[in-house]
Amino acid sequence: MGPPVSHRWAARLHLPTLAVAVALLAVWTLLSWRYGAYVLPSPLEVVRGLGEVVRTGEVWRHTGASLARILVGFGGAVVVAVLLGLAAFVSPVGRGIVHDLVAVLNATSVFVWIVISIIWFGLSNWAPIFTTFMITLPVVGANIVEGVENVDRRLLEMGDVYRLDGRQKFAAIVVPSTLPYLLAGMKVGFGLALKVSVVAEIFGVTSGIGYIMNYSREILATQMVFVWALVMILVMTLADRLVFEVIARRLARWR
Amino acid sequence: MKLVVEGVGKDYLIPVIDSVSFGVAAGEFVCLLGPNGCGKTTLLRIVGGLEPATRGRVLLDGEPVTADGRHRDRVGVVFQEDRLLPWMTLRDNVALVLKPLGVAAAGRRATAERYLQLVGLGGFEGYYPGRVSGGMRQRAAIARALAIEPDLLLMDEPFGALDAQNRRIMQNEVRRIWRETGRTIVFVTHSIEEAVAIGTTLVMLSARPSRVRELIGNDGRVERAKLVDDLNTMIMEEVERQQGAAPGPVP
Ligand SMILES: Nc1ncnc2c1ncn2[C@@H]1O[C@H](COP(=O)(O)OP(=O)(O)OP(=O)(O)O)[C@@H](O)[C@H]1O
Ligand SMILES: [Mg+2]
Repeated sequence: MGPPVSHRWAARLHLPTLAVAVALLAVWTLLSWRYGAYVLPSPLEVVRGLGEVVRTGEVWRHTGASLARILVGFGGAVVVAVLLGLAAFVSPVGRGIVHDLVAVLNATSVFVWIVISIIWFGLSNWAPIFTTFMITLPVVGANIVEGVENVDRRLLEMGDVYRLDGRQKFAAIVVPSTLPYLLAGMKVGFGLALKVSVVAEIFGVTSGIGYIMNYSREILATQMVFVWALVMILVMTLADRLVFEVIARRLARWR
Repeated sequence: MKLVVEGVGKDYLIPVIDSVSFGVAAGEFVCLLGPNGCGKTTLLRIVGGLEPATRGRVLLDGEPVTADGRHRDRVGVVFQEDRLLPWMTLRDNVALVLKPLGVAAAGRRATAERYLQLVGLGGFEGYYPGRVSGGMRQRAAIARALAIEPDLLLMDEPFGALDAQNRRIMQNEVRRIWRETGRTIVFVTHSIEEAVAIGTTLVMLSARPSRVRELIGNDGRVERAKLVDDLNTMIMEEVERQQGAAPGPVP
């Protein structure tokens, strides 16, 4: 028996946050009256714009295009990060190399990759994909390596006593203890992928949230810039709730 | 001799084990006794090939035990902590160690359940270690060590987490399994009553850096109560010596 339903809902909505949100909306409305719709469209216009892109189906087209690029770029980064984790597990030398590689990649700016990817891939899909890959690789990689380093030595020793071979120890001990780190890395990495790929989409592609946002700015449709920003927030929140939290709960089954 | 410990010593930052020698015949039940921190766990780890010795050597069936653990005999170890995999059920934890022996999946499962039953965990096969008590985890670790039917079973204070009642039950169980299977067991404990109740040979280590203070055959010739008294006196002396409180008798 949980608390009464109404009480639970209040806790979910978190009333103080709600109050702040209402206050902000009021200020927003006032400011948009003061400065006009080009600088700051009113909340109502933004909601109307959102309804419009959903009705025309534009929202699916651009969100789909962005997500497809993220899937390839970020997905590739996860695969490579797992391989790096494997290298770090099997050899101390590999671990050192992966450490340094991650440090260097982490210190490189998004803009560097955007410029380089335009030089290498021209104005094509591959530019945002490559940028997303290079930016998310060190984030996911660093998490996996940390996970591999934190595998309980005492459990590995138990594996040695019972003569599990490398593969058996890897499957029974290393993978399960590294998965939570991988998931944490993927969660952060996905958020980053969405932010980065959208920036990279400003250049040279004709679909995606980044493209349409920039286009809206050019045709002076400021309310649409806000609409697409809202779409981004929704995608991020939904991915968190529907994908990462569900996986995390599955992984923590034994806790 | 099944197991020969020959002048084994170990130095960490300080010398922990000076020099320990004793032999264990096949089928013996040896209890290692000694004050806290005198190197019992260290000695057991050296015997199991988990730790290299600084001096001396260990022979198992006449072959030296090396720290990479690749000797011929099956050695089961019950660590001072349970060392179960928290993401596997008790059944899978036990079944896992049967994999390297080439047992098929169905056989692994059946054997795991049989040994869990044996240690009184029937009905808990599907539980995760985090969902059972510390004593139950320790018993699952014992089931795991027994499941591989080891030639040599090393146990490091395996009943430390058990209450008096379960401790007695498990002592009887291990004793019964030992009688039925003829396994050679080296058992670390700091309970003198426990050692006298289940061991056939008692090895009392001295204070750090440790040597064998006394090697006693517990074959019923000496009355148990007297043995317990004597050993209690000895361990008191060693504890005091280790704390530097009393000079202790000259050996
Ligand atoms: N890996 C290590 N590095 C340095 N010192 C160690 C290491 N392992 C054990 N020691 C030291 O060796 C000594 C003996 O430790 P050990 O765990 O073997 O004692 P023990 O007899 O099993 O004690 P207890 O009764 O508390 O279990 C201790 O002083 C400990 O600090
Ligand atoms: Mg110990």
